[in-house]
Amino acid sequence: MKLANAPLAGVRIADFTIHAAGPFCTHMLSQLGAECIKIESLTRPDAFRKPHAVYGRMSAATFDQVSANKLSVRLNLKHPEAVELAKQLVSISDITAESFRPGVMNRLGLGFEDLRKIKTDIVMLSLSSCGQSGPDSHFAGYAPLFGAWGGLGSMTGYSDGPPVEMRHVMDHSAGLHAAVATMAALHQRRRTGLAQHVDLAAREVASAMIGDALIQASVGDTPVRPGNGDLAMSPHGVYATSQPDRWLTLAVRNDSEWHRLLQLLGRECNDQRFATAQGRVQYREEIDLLLTQWLANCNGDDIAKRLQQVGVCAHISWNMQDIASDPHLRARKALVEVSAVDIPPRLAVGAPAQFGRTDEVGIRSLTPALGQDEDYVFGDLLGLTSAQRADFQAREVIL
Amino acid sequence: MATAYAGRLLAAMGAEVVMLEPIQGTVLRNAPPFLQETGESALFAYLAAGKHSLVSDALAPEWPGLLDKALQSVDIFLDDTPIHERKALGLNEEAIRERFPKLVHVSVLPFGSAGAKADWQAEEINLLHSGGEGFLLPNGLSNEMFPERPPLKIYGHFAGYQGGSAAALAALAAWWVADVGGGQYVDVSVQDAVLSVGAFALQRLGDGSLEHRHTRRFRYGGVFQTKDGFIELLTLEDRQWGALVELLGRPAWSQDPGLQNPLERSRRGDEINAHIREWMAVHTAEEIVRRAQELGVPAGKYRTPAEVIQGEHERERGLFAPTRLQSGMQADVLVAPFQFRATPLKGADWVPAIGEMRVGCLS
Repeated sequence: MKLANAPLAGVRIADFTIHAAGPFCTHMLSQLGAECIKIESLTRPDAFRKPHAVYGRMSAATFDQVSANKLSVRLNLKHPEAVELAKQLVSISDITAESFRPGVMNRLGLGFEDLRKIKTDIVMLSLSSCGQSGPDSHFAGYAPLFGAWGGLGSMTGYSDGPPVEMRHVMDHSAGLHAAVATMAALHQRRRTGLAQHVDLAAREVASAMIGDALIQASVGDTPVRPGNGDLAMSPHGVYATSQPDRWLTLAVRNDSEWHRLLQLLGRECNDQRFATAQGRVQYREEIDLLLTQWLANCNGDDIAKRLQQVGVCAHISWNMQDIASDPHLRARKALVEVSAVDIPPRLAVGAPAQFGRTDEVGIRSLTPALGQDEDYVFGDLLGLTSAQRADFQAREVIL
Repeated sequence: MATAYAGRLLAAMGAEVVMLEPIQGTVLRNAPPFLQETGESALFAYLAAGKHSLVSDALAPEWPGLLDKALQSVDIFLDDTPIHERKALGLNEEAIRERFPKLVHVSVLPFGSAGAKADWQAEEINLLHSGGEGFLLPNGLSNEMFPERPPLKIYGHFAGYQGGSAAALAALAAWWVADVGGGQYVDVSVQDAVLSVGAFALQRLGDGSLEHRHTRRFRYGGVFQTKDGFIELLTLEDRQWGALVELLGRPAWSQDPGLQNPLERSRRGDEINAHIREWMAVHTAEEIVRRAQELGVPAGKYRTPAEVIQGEHERERGLFAPTRLQSGMQADVLVAPFQFRATPLKGADWVPAIGEMRVGCLS
């Protein structure tokens, strides 16, 4: 795929991010056309190159979504000369992205102020658990902790149950928000010529997901955990259907939709408590019981389609196999088939949007082997000779 | 929802964002949750802070002129009008492109504006499940306690927020190239965005594993009940395991040589969690988290919104800004989930009343 017709064609990223959140940000930007140079080392490879026993993965990943589209080079950043090479990469890049704990880049000599000296209009993204400042900035964490700290975890759950831990969606949501802010910083640089340091704390993204509840709390109200319920819609929930583990999600917004639902299900409801939306919300537990009875013998997929035909919000709770089989997602290229010499065809997530004009967005290459792009990056971009590179390798600068 | 969040992110970063609202106001003005004292929507206050409101009745004769005037003066147009209503309103892709070739026109719909489901309707609960994440929740302790209950949505509008973020990103990316090739139409789907942030589950499917909420759990670690609340604990690296053992006071069970092997720990996760639960139940969240973070054990308290809004860390970072709501009440509103350290964001101090902006103010 050529880069010429992608919105971020010509934008280059020096990518020091690791794990999931930071790499998702740069992956999104790369899907939009940016050239992303991933910087790792043999001694500190990214997580996907190693077994991950806690996830039950006992070997390296063969395909890693968030490393797709990226070029790979090795630099042993414990070596001062590797740091100098890293600075050269930064100097020819538009964006520098990192997701180490706060302080690590400074200790390496690659902090924002260090890098601004060699690139006065640098756009730098630092993505971390808790941000670059504040008393908790040194806290280590992963996606479930972001949700816990940020309040999203405690607001999610059954009303009589424990909080719910957020998983990779929390990492990736942080990465997506980071991509938004980084893009804005690029625009700002174009307008002002000035450097910018974007500081994204993943826990604050979790807090942004409960922005309404935080306003309630700020005026002394106590937000409630609604579970699957809604304060304005009823029926509203996830209901069992005739097939095991085939759940129907349903949201009825007004009286008209309520009547269409009744008609489609062939039911009558003369209970005056349920005549208005307000009443149905007030008696939502009774409504849920009714719906549970009515839907228990329905084919979920069939009823979801028929409800949509009459304008009622319904959808099956899809597992990933359902998604993989969905022609709509494939037609939209939200879901794309990828393959490589050593990777049989499989599905991956495509670009975050479809562009009418600059439409060459998406996945161009899969997971890079460690250091596979050094001829281009060290040779063509930095101008290192073969002899220089061999010397750096011998002295474990490139490792 | 998604479109409102996209505009909110852009407004937080300094863009002038104008909501075109019907006379009765956007439905978000009446969307829960509501503040007890004033009855106003906390959700709307959050999403509209820093925006302007211009009343525009799409059924009125002056609508085409007003729309043209509005779109002549903007760089980005965010639209979530249902696809079947667009042509009659002059909002379809072709009409907008013809009249405003430099405009970045971002369509944000539940299932996108192209494809077989372009006209499907959905609310948050449908979208979270259509993108795969809803089916996988709850996992961990909640699922262990209530395995027979239906899957559970994430609080609020998580799917909508992902759609909004994708829309903001796409808008800024399209705007990046607007000066060289002109504007363009961009099609954003909330379902696509949910799938995008759920990419790991798709990756697992490609690896041969269909994730399910019953089995998607960390082998050890997760949610633990303490003496006074809940904490999250997760040790992914070997050194973190060593620190966890230290945190627990080096109990005899942890000295089992077999547990030095991460794969063996993974296999014996239930046994490990049983020990950790026992220990957690007799300690407070605060003492656990403080000591854990000193030792390098990733652990955090499940905080309530009140704890977040009063959090020392959040206060020091300026996460919230005092904002005057429509009622005149003051509230602290989250500024943005990111900071620009060279040019700090100030946060908006207003939530717009309906039609507080006049047509003549469009520049």
